Amino acid sequence: MLEVTGIDAFYGKVQALWDVTFRVAKGEIVTIIGANGAGKSTTLKTISGLLKPRKGQIVFEGADVTGLAPNRLVELGIVLIPEARQLWPAMSVLENLEMGAYARTARPARAQTLQSVFAMFPLLKQRVRQRAGTLSGGEQQMCAIGRGLMARPRLLLLDEPALGLAPLLVREVFESLKSIREQGVTIVLVEQNVRHALALADRAFVLETGRVTLSGQASDLAHDPRIRDGYLGLAAV
Amino acid sequence: MQQLVSVTLSALLAAGLYATMAYGLAVIYGVMRIINLAHAGFMMLGAYVTFTLFSRFSLDPFIGLVVVGPLFFFFGVVLYRAVGKSMARSGATPSIESLLLLFGVWLVLQNLAYVIWTGDTQSILTSYTMKSIEIFGVHVGVPSVFVFLASAASLIFLNVLLKRTYLGKAIRAVTQNRDAALLSGVDADRISATAFGLGTAFAGIAGGMLSTLMAFTPDFGRSFLLKAFCIIVLGGMESVTGVALGALVLAVLENVLGAYTPVPTSLQDAVSFALLFVALVAFPQGLPALFARFERKAIR
Repeated sequence: MLEVTGIDAFYGKVQALWDVTFRVAKGEIVTIIGANGAGKSTTLKTISGLLKPRKGQIVFEGADVTGLAPNRLVELGIVLIPEARQLWPAMSVLENLEMGAYARTARPARAQTLQSVFAMFPLLKQRVRQRAGTLSGGEQQMCAIGRGLMARPRLLLLDEPALGLAPLLVREVFESLKSIREQGVTIVLVEQNVRHALALADRAFVLETGRVTLSGQASDLAHDPRIRDGYLGLAAV
Repeated sequence: MQQLVSVTLSALLAAGLYATMAYGLAVIYGVMRIINLAHAGFMMLGAYVTFTLFSRFSLDPFIGLVVVGPLFFFFGVVLYRAVGKSMARSGATPSIESLLLLFGVWLVLQNLAYVIWTGDTQSILTSYTMKSIEIFGVHVGVPSVFVFLASAASLIFLNVLLKRTYLGKAIRAVTQNRDAALLSGVDADRISATAFGLGTAFAGIAGGMLSTLMAFTPDFGRSFLLKAFCIIVLGGMESVTGVALGALVLAVLENVLGAYTPVPTSLQDAVSFALLFVALVAFPQGLPALFARFERKAIR
């Protein structure tokens, strides 16, 4: 479904990604593992079009989408739920959700998608009139995921959806990812909580200072000593 | 008592005009994070276009606004398409390039006006320019009342646009969080063009309204640009309500100082300067943030 080949990306003059290559098959959950600053978020930003790669190619469902603007990619079905939620704080929860369906591919089904988002996060339905900026952290995350779903993604990119959430909410977020996948959405997940992420994902790859250093089945990687010592050890503390 | 009513009334009437003028600046800053130095030029041009419509086609200046609005919107969009790429948003702060470019646009407009309309002072004299009506026992100039009504109408139109339409919501979304808007499928370039058009239209309308209140030359607009700056610093960029509030504060201050203190009217611009200075020092986030802080304290 997604083939990323030899991507180099820069922030100004600073190179953040070196020759990053990976593929994601339809219906999979793939997780990206790496330390802070390893390039995980940069990888997602590049796929979603916020950052243009200087080299390399991104192919989505057989079509070259390298360098397309984010709004075009959303119309094709690539949706990023960015780090730290990034809601529109002065808009109501309902407006945030409705604007999630801004893309013309998502607009006609807006009412229907909204119902399925409410079915997944009933709490949001009680909060529709509230300004998004006044929601709690967990509620904001649900709103952010809900907004992403409103765009009717085929490939959903999630950047740290469980960051800063209480353990109970973390479980809830991961449960919702499972049900999103069951609806046929392919997922690429960046998550600090490597143990959770590997338990959920089919496959994973490791980024170190902007390069892919390891990849494989999630279940294999969970037992790989390099992952255990490098990432799971930290996550357990 | 009579004076209080009179001061309140003139403050309110001025506030409507100020809000229209300031909103043009706010929408462009909000979406593109650039400070439109050409705003004063657009206001001046708005005054001259209204003047020309009036003197050549004997179109009433307030009916002329209906022409000026769309015309300037179109003009703004074309200008954005022509030079907008150089104003592209690079970061959180306005780029020097965009400031210089827009300052250049202002100079060009000014000189064009000198060529087309000469440097002579112009004014619009209608049958009602000198007439006044009585409101709560106070005589108010008819043009000021019309200006207020036209301002109110354009702000209501704007509020409906921003609150009820996809386009308006996209403008607010880009203002509040640009990346999130891009990721929801908003075409930033199209919204920037629209915002620039809207900002230009509001400047043109404000200029057209000003032309019914006072005389003007191609240098017209500078002091109003300053007032507009002051208002958006006070009111914030986000909401029409915030801008209206900022406009009211400035208008009340100007009128109260004019009526109750010996500060001469010629120093009126100093008032907005001083207010701008105080606002930046005391509450750099603007009035809405200040109120939000009080609200939070009250809840706790």
